[in-house]
Amino acid sequence: MKYALYPGCVMPTEQYAYEMSIREVMPKLDVELVDLKGFSCCGEPIKSVNQMLTLTLSARNLAIAEKEGLDIFAPCPICHLALSECKRILDADPAMNERVNKFLEDEGLKYSGTSDIVSTIDLIHDKIGIEKIKKLVKKPLKDLKVATHNGCHLIRPSEIGRPDDSENPQKMDKILKAVGANPLDYPEKLDCCGGLLTANLPEAALTKTGQKLKGVQDQGFDAFIDTCPWCHRQYDSKQTKAGETVAAKLDVPVLYLTQILGLSFGISKDKLGLDLNLSPVEKLAVVGGK
Amino acid sequence: MSITDLTSMGEPQTEQRKEINERLRRLQDEISDYCYQCAKCTSGCEAHKLLELEPHKIVALLKRGLIDEMINSEIIWTCMSCFKCRERCPQKVAPVEILFALKNLAVASGKQIPGNYTAMLQSVLSIGLLQDVKSITTKDNKTKTRTDLGLPEISKPADPTKFQMMLSKIAVEKV
Ligand code: SF4
Ligand code: SF4
Ligand code: SF4
Ligand code: SF4
Repeated sequence: MKYALYPGCVMPTEQYAYEMSIREVMPKLDVELVDLKGFSCCGEPIKSVNQMLTLTLSARNLAIAEKEGLDIFAPCPICHLALSECKRILDADPAMNERVNKFLEDEGLKYSGTSDIVSTIDLIHDKIGIEKIKKLVKKPLKDLKVATHNGCHLIRPSEIGRPDDSENPQKMDKILKAVGANPLDYPEKLDCCGGLLTANLPEAALTKTGQKLKGVQDQGFDAFIDTCPWCHRQYDSKQTKAGETVAAKLDVPVLYLTQILGLSFGISKDKLGLDLNLSPVEKLAVVGGK
Repeated sequence: MSITDLTSMGEPQTEQRKEINERLRRLQDEISDYCYQCAKCTSGCEAHKLLELEPHKIVALLKRGLIDEMINSEIIWTCMSCFKCRERCPQKVAPVEILFALKNLAVASGKQIPGNYTAMLQSVLSIGLLQDVKSITTKDNKTKTRTDLGLPEISKPADPTKFQMMLSKIAVEKV
């Protein structure tokens, strides 16, 4: 399998652990990642300002992959949604398609809708498959009680076509079961991290983060697993501050799905960027000591 | 952060209402007319408890054409785009997309853009990304760059001038 890696903005400018673990894990799963030049932001974070910018930026990125004849792997669920929504709109409305393509001409690009778009979850669960994951496990994560966080953009709106079910997402849980962990549903599973409010209401954003993570901590989970660089920035990078908004001392190890997969495959923690996680990941036996 | 008293409002803006509904159609979204005010959207709204956003009221105000009330209110900027309202609406109305339309309209009519949006926009305009590459600090206080971590050079628009020209053309466009 071969995909153009569409990094977006947040992952390649600060969430390096996600990118490192993706680049370690995917080749082991026989996924070849191709780096292309010229990508830009997907535009979703500025959809509130002008959605025409979002549509054109997304079409532009899709056009870059199309030019190379490659499907796109977008690890950030927000990017994945932006690209998927752009495809839905431009494929349904010829007038819109023409308008957007007019802007792309200047850079010699053309969107025609030939590239498929996958996220971390459907790439691993649907394309690679659980059986292949099982075969690679060297260090099963015995009885590790984990909470999964899909992120709103990954599962909604289903009209646009999302990688998992909008009300009962289970693919990430199945992937984690395959490496021996014990993922359990919890009441806050579908709650939003608030990440996109950081632009104008950062305190409120952190409160959403804190509320969810406090629920996870109170229920005795060993780790919290995500696949979105925006969510991860909230839950991992800003965990201490998020705790302050709900008057709690939060102490929850937060890892990217690709980091925990890598650990179970026996990849060293340095290669998976585990020293970049600011949450207490060393509490986990598979990371600390042994 | 509330919308002014519903009963005290003036004339509806029927033109703008039409514009928003046409925009929703172009974006393959259902228009507001089908809303029957069940408030299911509000019952699951992530911004409801914390910030008092009530998506069903947004839809009601749009149906009545009371657009100015909304674009002058900060309430439209409290949506965290979780898409639950759109997912769960029995009539396939998408309050979240109506909110995006209202925010776009507020910006286009010269209202102040809150928070960091201007900075984000400027960054996308100048380098193509929301923010530039950062060096980060590990838990034991070491500073690391992409190169230190063995990551390849970041992907960015190759010709910034052309890229900027394109974006500045779109900046004055509406969906
Ligand atoms: S959504 Fe985000 S992470 Fe994704 S490209 Fe756009 S800004 Fe970047
Ligand atoms: S950042 Fe928040 S809003 Fe975005 S996908 Fe993650 S949970 Fe949802
Ligand atoms: S938008 Fe949909 S969910 Fe909300 S009140 Fe109207 S019909 Fe009900
Ligand atoms: S998308 Fe916005 S309006 Fe809709 S439920 Fe989520 S926060 Fe509320």
